[in-house]
Amino acid sequence: MKCIKCRKYKKNGRNIGINIVIMALVLLIVLPMLNLLIWTVTERWAWPDLLPQVYSARAIEEIFGRRGEMLKLFGSSVVISASVSVLSVGVGMMTARALTCCKFRGRDALYFLSLLPFLVPATVFAMGIQITFLKWGLGNSVAGVILVHLICSLPYAVRLLMDGMRAVGTKLEEQAQVLGADPFRAFCTVTLPLLTPVILSALSMSYIVSFSQYFLTLLIGGGTVKTFTIVMVPYLQSDSRNIACVYSTAFLAVTLLVFGAFEWMIRCWSKGNVVKYDFG
Amino acid sequence: MKKLTPYLLSVPQIVLGIIFLTGLITGITQSLGVIPVFGLEEVTFDYYKEIFAKPDMLRSVLYSLYIAFVSAGISTVAGVLICMALVAAGRTKGKMMRVVQIPIVVPHVVVAIFVINILSQNGLLARFAYMLGIIGEQQDFPMLLYDPGGAGVIFAYLWKEIPFIIYFVIGLMASIDGRLGEAAVNLGAGRLSSFFRVTLPLCMPSILSGFLIIFVFALGAYELPMLLGATVPKALPVLAYIQYTHPDLKHRPYAMALNGIVIAISLLSAVIYYMLIKKGSMLLKEKEWSE
Repeated sequence: MKCIKCRKYKKNGRNIGINIVIMALVLLIVLPMLNLLIWTVTERWAWPDLLPQVYSARAIEEIFGRRGEMLKLFGSSVVISASVSVLSVGVGMMTARALTCCKFRGRDALYFLSLLPFLVPATVFAMGIQITFLKWGLGNSVAGVILVHLICSLPYAVRLLMDGMRAVGTKLEEQAQVLGADPFRAFCTVTLPLLTPVILSALSMSYIVSFSQYFLTLLIGGGTVKTFTIVMVPYLQSDSRNIACVYSTAFLAVTLLVFGAFEWMIRCWSKGNVVKYDFG
Repeated sequence: MKKLTPYLLSVPQIVLGIIFLTGLITGITQSLGVIPVFGLEEVTFDYYKEIFAKPDMLRSVLYSLYIAFVSAGISTVAGVLICMALVAAGRTKGKMMRVVQIPIVVPHVVVAIFVINILSQNGLLARFAYMLGIIGEQQDFPMLLYDPGGAGVIFAYLWKEIPFIIYFVIGLMASIDGRLGEAAVNLGAGRLSSFFRVTLPLCMPSILSGFLIIFVFALGAYELPMLLGATVPKALPVLAYIQYTHPDLKHRPYAMALNGIVIAISLLSAVIYYMLIKKGSMLLKEKEWSE
């Protein structure tokens, strides 16, 4: 009854203006990606043509010719970012749980601490911590890079997971406890499955934050830890644009594969639950 | 045991938080000229004073503030407007959201390639302008990259951050619009006035925190200004990194003082944000109380 009026309204509301805005949005997002694809096979693209004059697979061949190097690069990038995202969701779950379910002394301080990396840019943190990391033996190491990436992706995970936990609430879990499940089991069998969509978002978001880092990886990895951005930027600066484009395309494809893997794993783990794919 | 649970749960977060704070505190003490390893031990504000005395460094501060403010401001306004359109069209889920999420996945360095491919004087847009006869020569196309106005950097941020704001706000906006907005419409409010009076105010905290996140990010980000920005003035993080890697280690406190300025601006904006939120929720409470 209550919806009849607004449904009707919504149908009328789909006017031309709104459709133009949405079309423009989609075009502005998709066109640069298509342009990137063209660049991967471009040999010569002189002014003022709208399409390249000479196509070739040179850039693609050059990169995939060094197969061992490429596999190593993909491997280290994916391993670093995947570890970061799993750790970030693990720690984020604990923090979000503490923040949403309990009232305790220092709760506000914990909340502030968890959001602090939103408030202070990563570059500032990186320059401040580098010396300490070198002292601890974490400088120029994969572990050090994972640690700083984790610190910067954690607030995103905490925020997403907190929203999710608030929406799910604790009532069902309490019921399970009343029926005799111990608290941990109640959480794992009742709340956790309900959180799967949010967990998927948090995993993907953390992965992206880690995967996109350039400065942190450069400073803490010291050039020895190679990720996609570290390898790609020099090509961009030296104006080997087609090579930079091939790298970018390959890595975006890998990211999609990783997200697919996340979704698949979560789906296996929570059989019977409907997973709404919604990364962020 | 039950009392201890929240503390046990927060241990990893606290450890990581302490590492983050260590980085900040080290930076701040170094900016005050205290680096015992280099034989600098006295606390001094000279480095800050010198930065404000040097016109080129001061220009960097203003340049970074300008880029961060303009890009975050336009992204937020445009993002919210597009959100409105998507909610009105009922396209807040499914395929549409997947498209909106694409820019969030694309790293900033890749966005830099997009901007070079499309907005440079040799880029697609210039070629279209030539084809349509708007410009006669390559050089007639405005210099959008490496310009002191920072247009290239700002466009790159817009491409990344407008979708971020949409993603950040749309869930909340759709649900509020669906529940309370409907109620307002049923009670006789127009579609637009229900949006501006009910949905938008309730989304405001979320919108403001989205703005804060991208403002602080743009203020402290290195890669885009390094790849697309002008040589003069340089963005704060770029200048700080140059000072940081200067062979003469005595330059390090300058880097840290520049970072100190970034920290000060970020925290100040966080305080303003907090006050706005607080004021908003007070107003809401007062309204409830008076009704």
